[in-house]
This record gives sequence, structure tokens and C-alpha cells, in this order.
Amino acid sequence: MIRRPMTRRGVLAAGGATLALPALPRLARAQSPATLQLSWLHSVQFAGSYIAQERGLWADSGLDVSLSPGGPNAPVEPPVISGDALVGISAADYTAAAVEQGAPFKILMVAMQKNPFVIASLPGNPVDVPADLQGKRLGMALANRPVLEALCTLNDVDIDAIEMVPTQYSAAPLLNGEVDCLLCWETDLPVAMAIQGVESRTMLMADFGYSVHSQTYIASEESIANRRDELVALLRGEAQGWDAYRADTEAAAALTVEKFPDLGLDLETQELQAARQVPLMFSDLTDASGFGWWTDDTVAANVETLALLGRTVSPDLWDRSILEEVHAG
Amino acid sequence: MSLAAAAPAGLGEAPSRGQTALGLVAILLLWELAARALAGAYLLAGPAEVAAYLGQNAGLMGRALAETLRNAAAGFVLGNLAAVALAALALIVPRAERAVAALALVVFCLPLVATGPILRVVFGPGAGPQVALAALAVYFTTLVPLLVGLRAAPATWFDLVASYGRGRGAALVHVRAMAALPYLFAGLQIAAPAAILGAMVGEFTGAERGMGVLAIQAMRALDVEATWALATLAAATSILAYAALGALGRALAPEAPPALLAPPPATEGARRRWSDRAVHAVVVTALALALWQATPWLLGLNPFFAKGPGDIWAFLVSGPGAAEHRATLGTALGETALYAVPGYLAGLALGAGLAMALVLAPALAAVAMPVAVALRSVPIVTTAPLLVLLLGRGAVGTTVIVAVMVFFPTFVACLHGLRQAPGQALDVADSFAAGRLARLVHMQVPAMLPAFFAAARMAVPAAVLAVTVVEWLATGRGLGALMALSASLSDYGTLWSCVVLVAVLSALGYAAVGAAERRVLSVYAAEQLAR
Repeated sequence: MIRRPMTRRGVLAAGGATLALPALPRLARAQSPATLQLSWLHSVQFAGSYIAQERGLWADSGLDVSLSPGGPNAPVEPPVISGDALVGISAADYTAAAVEQGAPFKILMVAMQKNPFVIASLPGNPVDVPADLQGKRLGMALANRPVLEALCTLNDVDIDAIEMVPTQYSAAPLLNGEVDCLLCWETDLPVAMAIQGVESRTMLMADFGYSVHSQTYIASEESIANRRDELVALLRGEAQGWDAYRADTEAAAALTVEKFPDLGLDLETQELQAARQVPLMFSDLTDASGFGWWTDDTVAANVETLALLGRTVSPDLWDRSILEEVHAG
Repeated sequence: MSLAAAAPAGLGEAPSRGQTALGLVAILLLWELAARALAGAYLLAGPAEVAAYLGQNAGLMGRALAETLRNAAAGFVLGNLAAVALAALALIVPRAERAVAALALVVFCLPLVATGPILRVVFGPGAGPQVALAALAVYFTTLVPLLVGLRAAPATWFDLVASYGRGRGAALVHVRAMAALPYLFAGLQIAAPAAILGAMVGEFTGAERGMGVLAIQAMRALDVEATWALATLAAATSILAYAALGALGRALAPEAPPALLAPPPATEGARRRWSDRAVHAVVVTALALALWQATPWLLGLNPFFAKGPGDIWAFLVSGPGAAEHRATLGTALGETALYAVPGYLAGLALGAGLAMALVLAPALAAVAMPVAVALRSVPIVTTAPLLVLLLGRGAVGTTVIVAVMVFFPTFVACLHGLRQAPGQALDVADSFAAGRLARLVHMQVPAMLPAFFAAARMAVPAAVLAVTVVEWLATGRGLGALMALSASLSDYGTLWSCVVLVAVLSALGYAAVGAAERRVLSVYAAEQLAR
């Protein structure tokens, strides 16, 4: 593996076309194309993939990976089931819902071992444990009511004592005093508040029994049967990219900002987000077994939480055979 | 670029450049004051902050604008070409007109929240969905005024063509096309902001650059300056496009027809029998179902997310849990209707009312025109969440946004309509020294009615679009939120049911306005009912 300098603005300024190409003309051998469907707009949330692409980790194994951005109106499942994307980034609850609707998906690798959902509050009126939620006005998308119900059930909190206020996904209602706390991700709205100079507190739901794997890599059973080598190559590049990310999150943030000049990403925001997602992605378990790993125990905990969310899931939803090959090679 | 160019021509005393400048200054001042009053609330950035932001980020904003504008322009051209082609088809095969218009309406009523992801799968990565959504956002608002305009010609003109021994082709080129031009440009003007909105929503389906992408980031980052800078840039661009199309229209379109409009031929235009209408409804429904059944198959869409009529019938009627599914949809529909209906009616009243006020007091146009154009041009996807924060999560916020969306097309159409008052009739009024009010009531309002009703019909889908977008992005209630939720949970049965419900109810609302229209026009503008 050759380490390349991260500054490559000149190449990237050529625009989107470069994304579909390997970082530099490499080997003459044919590259088989594969698309990785991301779950959101480009940001440091997917920096491990950018490192894999920039360092040619995929090109070395004959794979030409396109990173397809997501967005607020871009469900991940349709391109994956259509075969337009080889792998999609989803979450255990969404994948479980899709499987219930008849989609033959498997979870192959888990980037966020801990679910990123938090309750964010301000220090003057903090929510540090689930019981603190009682009597508070909680800003959230009404669609996330099952998430709150699960948290309350896990921690014996009376959900009727919480006033749910339907809000859009922004920290403004908290800062305006319209609500006392927000249901959001550890890595977005609290970061936005910090950049605006507002100190906030977060209570990570994963620390209170909410076990739902997030940023999971999914593929269809058909791909697992027919495109196994490509899946192994794609996920191996991911795992190596994320290990490099962990080694230097600031460089990963800088790469992200440089790679997407048209997104107007703020370096400071990306650095903070990059640092805050490390504890969600890496643990003693991943140190011991490799990036994206899971055990039967963590799957069992997921099955339990998913049941509280109204999803009946079998441990078969997770397929470790590809991941075993990734870390064996 | 002066906003005076956006002011309607033909109203006689259009505001002077000085008055327009004064109006603009007043608007900027009010905006700045409002921003200062709300400082620290992360809601509104004033013109000074917006200007500073645009200055500091000129390169980024310029690239985003170029990307969005390129897609919007491509969609604008394709959508309007489709509208012209459909109008031509309706004219060549008059029997097909009602079916073409009805199917075009149903396609137009398909909610963005649902079509976006499907278009992304169909087109793959790139700008396909952005262009397609921009085209879908404009074609119908051009088709409707075009169909009206192609008929808005004086009978004497057709007689003249016939006296030269020429046929329908010559009548189309020399009479109908000329008569339709003012209507076409009215449609094109309304289409400009819609195309930009469509392109931005298209970016929500996964894009690497553009103003919609930046708007999402700004919202999450609490970057109020960026949010309002994007809204301002989109609005300013829409206003420029609107003004340029207006100027082009005035340069190309002839004066308002100087003769009385054509009466309906004696043998045609009689009120349609109910049996005829029933046949029409059955034909359109059958065609729509066939289209629905065939499209996923033609595009090779996976049945996991592309549900057909049979799947939805089972989901809602014959399958397990159908009653539960219907109840979920019913609840969401009730929430949506609660905001959409009052907003729609308020928007219509405001649009027609302001157009009439401008005829009585043309100086008002200095302030009213820029505000009207700007309000409609600010893309709701960037500002709806902030407006809901500002105006409240209850009925007021959503109702106001719906009213704004409805108000502007109504206003523009009514202004154009008021100008269609026949010159001879106005001359009669002048010879009796009738005042402005008398002219308005007796001559101009009747002349305005066809355009008003065309706008009122068109506003039905616009109101539904507005309310579902607000529900999706801001309030989290009603059909808009249910569609977003069901898409994220792969609950495509619910999603397609919502799509059908929204499209059918929009089409029925449109038909109901059409029924009211026929009764009124049979008295005031009988030529519109001719076939």
C-alpha cells in the first residue's frame, strides 16, 4: 500500500467524473465497477470510504468503486435491491423493516457498533439519564416515537410523562427554548451547536440499552451468492480505510473537505464530527477482531431492541461469512 | 435589472422605476428590522448578513447556483416542450383533449416525495432526477393556460382565415398561436420558480452539488446566514427569469385582442350530459391504471418498491390488515386537509384580490409585485422549516405556506386575465366616462374569469405539493410525513397508497373547480366552453 499525499485538489476540481475513476491511472488490468450507496450526503461520516478510494485500496484488488451519495429523499434499499448498488449503508432497524417487506438483504459489516441516537440537552436543564426525560419537552420527528418507546421500556420510564414536540431536524428549537431536549445523532446537531459556541450535553441511548447497529453494510442474497469476491474486496477496502481513519481523524476530515469542494464543508465541523464518531465505531471488540465485527451476543441484544421497535428479526439477518474472509485475508 | 420589468404591461399606469426602487428599499428595510428583532433565535438572517455571506462564499454559491440552474433550465425546456406537444395533440385530435389533460393532471399530481427515489433508481447517479422533477414541476402549469389561450381568439379572425380559403392549419398558425402567446408566457413565467424548486428537490435524492444540497447542510449546521443566502439567491434568480420571460412575452405577443371574444358556435358547447362525463371518467381511470401497470414493467423496476394497481388493491381492500391501512391513511389525510383547504382558499382570495387592487391603484404594484414574485420564488424547501418555526407548528404556519404557493399563480393569471378585457368594450366604458371601479366590475373581472379559474384549478395540485412538502420537512404530520416515513421503512404499500390518494384527490379537486368554472363561464366567457 502506497501512502499518497492528501492534497489533490487539482484532480478533484475536475468534478464528479473523477469520482467514478480510480484516483490515478494505475494498473492496466480491467477494473470491475461497483457502487456503494451511502445513506446521506457526502461528509466525514463516510471518510473511511474516501480514504479507501484515494489510496487505491479498491483499485489494487481490481474494483472500481463509485460512491453514490444519499439524501433526505434517497432511500438506500431500492438501488441495492435493483442491483444498481452492490452494497448499501443502512441500519439494522431499516434493514429489518425491508426484510419484513420481503427484501432478501443481509447485514455484512457494522460500522457503528453503538447506535448514534442521543438525547441532547443544555447544561442548565440537563438530561443525563433516561429518568431525567420525565416532565421535559422533547423535540423529535414523530416518526421516531418507536425509538423513544423502546428507550422508555428499557429503562422503566413513563413515556406519558414526556411531552413530544414534533420538530424538524435542527437544533434551533432547543436554542429557542421551544423544547428542553432533542432526539438526534451524537455526530450532527450537537456538533453544530458546539461550532456555534453553544455547549450541550448528550445522553447516548446505546449506553442505556438501546442496541441497534447503525451504518451497517447490506447486500442482497443474490449478490452474496454471485459477486462474493467483489463484496470481499469492497468491504476489505472499507475496513482498511476506516483503520486509517482512526489513526488520523484530522487528516480524514481534511481529505473530506478537499474531496468535495462544492459541498462547502467546514473543516472544524468535520474534525469534531470525525472525533465524535470514533467511540461509536471502535471498541475492544473491533480491536480484537477487526473493523465492523459483531458477536452472537451483540446480535442477540439487537434482536431484543428491535423487538421493542416492533420488528421480529432472526439472527440470520447478519451474515458473517464475508467479514470472516475480509479479516482472514 | 429593474423590477419594473416584472410589472405587468398593459395595465396603463405601471409604477415608475423610482416607485419600484422605493418599494424595494421598503422591503429590505422591513426584512432587516425583522431579522434584528429575531437576532439570536437562529431563525432569520437579514439582508446585510445575507449579502456578507454571499460575498464571502461567492465561489461556492456560484458553483451551486450554476449546477441547480443548469438542471432547472434543462427541465424547464423539456417540460415546456412536452406541454406544447400535448397542447398540439389536443388541438389536432380534439376528441383526445380531455383525456390528455386529465392524464397530464394525474401525472402532475404525483407527489415529489414518492417520485424522487423512483426517478433516482431509473436514472442512476447524476442529474437525471433533478431535470425530471423540474420538468414535471412545469409542464402542467404551461399546458393549462396554453389550452385556454388556443381558444381565446375572436370569431372574426377565424372568419377572416376562412374567407381566404385557408383551413385549420392556417388558423392554428395565424390565429390560435398568436392568441395563445400571452397565455403561454403567463404559464412560462409561473414555471420559472417551479423549475428551480423541482431541481432543488431532485438534489434531495442524492447529489454531490447544488443549492438543494447546500440548503440541507445549512439547516443541520444551524447556519442561518447560509440558509437565507440560498433562499435569496434562488428567489433572485427566479425573479430575473420571471422578468426576462415577461419582457420576452411583451416583445413577441401582440396587443390584447381588440375585438369581442368568439361566442360558442350554436351547434356545440351545450352542457355536457352526465353520461358523457361518466364515460370520460371511466376512460381516464382505465388509461391511468394501464399507465400505472405498464410503467414499472417498461422501466424494469423491482416489484419490492414498484407496486402495481393489484398490489395496492390488496393492500387497501382485499388483503390482510386492509382496514388498518385505510385507517392510517384516513388519519393522515384528515391532518393534511385541515391545513390544505383553508390555505388554498386564502391563497385564491389573496391572488385575485391583489390583482384587482392593482388595477384600481396601479401605484401599489411598486411594492406588491416584487413581494409577490419574491414570496413565490423563495423555494419552500429551504424556508418552510424556518417559517414553521417562525409562525408556529399549528395551523398558521402550514396554512400560510400553502396560501403563498397558491397566491402567486392566481395573482399572475388574474393580472393577465384583467388585461384581456376587449378594447372595444373598454372604449365604450371610456365614452360613458366610467370610473376605474365600474370598468373593473363590468369589463375586466368578467374578462379575468377564464384565467382565474384556470389558475384556481392549477392551484389545487400546487396546494397539495406545498402542504405535503411542509409536512415532510417541518411538521412531521399528515400524508407528507407518512410518505417519507414509509419510504424509509420500505413500507411501499403505504407509500403507493398515499401516492394514489394524493393524485386522485388532487384530480377530483381539480375537477370540482372545473365544474364550478363551467357554470360561471357559461355566463361570462362562453367561448371557453366551445369545442
